[in-house]
Amino acid sequence: MGVPYVPVVGLFGTDILKRRDDMVVAVDPFDGKTRTVVAKALRPDVAIIHAQTADRQGNVSCGYEAEVVILAEASKHVIVTAERIVDQLTEKEAKGAFIPAIHVDTVAHAPFGAHPAGCAGLYNADKNHMREYVIASKDDASFETYLQTHVFGVRDHDEYVERFVPLEWRQPTRAAGS
Amino acid sequence: MAMPYTDVELMAILLSREVRDGEISACGALSHIPAAGLLLAQALHAPNAELIILNSVFNPFKTSRQFHFLAQRGELGLFFVSGVQIDRLGNYNLHQIGPDIDHPQMRFPGGYGGGMIYYGARRTVVFRTEHTSRSLVEKVDFISAAGSCPPDVLRHGNPSKVVTPKANFRFDTTAGVLRLDTVHPSYTLDDIQENTGFDLGTDPVAITPAPTEDELHTLRHVIRDKMISTGTYADWARKSLGNIKTQAA
Repeated sequence: MGVPYVPVVGLFGTDILKRRDDMVVAVDPFDGKTRTVVAKALRPDVAIIHAQTADRQGNVSCGYEAEVVILAEASKHVIVTAERIVDQLTEKEAKGAFIPAIHVDTVAHAPFGAHPAGCAGLYNADKNHMREYVIASKDDASFETYLQTHVFGVRDHDEYVERFVPLEWRQPTRAAGS
Repeated sequence: MAMPYTDVELMAILLSREVRDGEISACGALSHIPAAGLLLAQALHAPNAELIILNSVFNPFKTSRQFHFLAQRGELGLFFVSGVQIDRLGNYNLHQIGPDIDHPQMRFPGGYGGGMIYYGARRTVVFRTEHTSRSLVEKVDFISAAGSCPPDVLRHGNPSKVVTPKANFRFDTTAGVLRLDTVHPSYTLDDIQENTGFDLGTDPVAITPAPTEDELHTLRHVIRDKMISTGTYADWARKSLGNIKTQAA
């Protein structure tokens, strides 16, 4: 992606269009008459993507086909956090959602970086934590407390993992895909 | 005598009858009744139907981009969708309720997908579990998806039907309006008019064929088991299909 705009079949006549200045109706430049909605492309300055594996060159594998490849292609800068960093991705690992290093600015090693959400093939969402999160998000005060505890109240990612990722997830016996 | 059934079972069966063999038919996330209807159709009259039930094992795609472009190409034969309000012109509303568009009284999760698929799918069947004058209205408070468009706008398909627990409407694409199609057994034309927020006209309408024993039996056993074993709205299937004794008919 990264193209300036994309035609969309649909949405004509909806109130959605009244609210958005990034979607307009345009005439097909080839036949000069058919109309469609045209959506302005999103061009993020920075995309932050969490992936399963990255290598030292900045190649990234998300394991299976996923939406993040388009995100990387559309963004001016791409920061990747990865569960695992290897010297070089193998041909087998470079399948599915593969982001070539040319799109990637930097890679950081961040095991359990998706927590409390899940990382496909490695761990599921942390349901207990998610429940806490939903309760905390009911009003501004309780959400502020959540942020103070989980986001601003930790020194770094290692401390977050130490304090908030369930201990049994961190045992070395827990193999990928279990 | 006809077998008793619940509103939910009736609607799943009515939706299943809209599925055509060999077509790609789909429903979105949080679509329990259409999911049952799709699986029922495949078990009965549409063995070669290709089904897409988003967020379930019945989904060939890994990304929403793949589903988006399937619809954009016009390859989706049938889509099931619901709306908070549905109006006479076939518009539906999944966004918000209230007369002032900038200050809604209530908001719903409606987004972009429905307004896109309404043009992309060859046929869309809108279903609504509540048939009242607040759900079937003269004009929706917010148009999430538009029933009609001018002829120079690219569109692959149209609304096809609206299905409720009381009646079926069909969409007249020439006039761009919903017409009462059939009235379900045990309801009268007066019941329907009383609970519909727009004028139904005076055309005589037929009675919807009641669920057959085969449809009900397959839904309550084969489809119920399949939904439970595949984790497709398993809890809902356990509660809502085949428990006629514990529910009001």
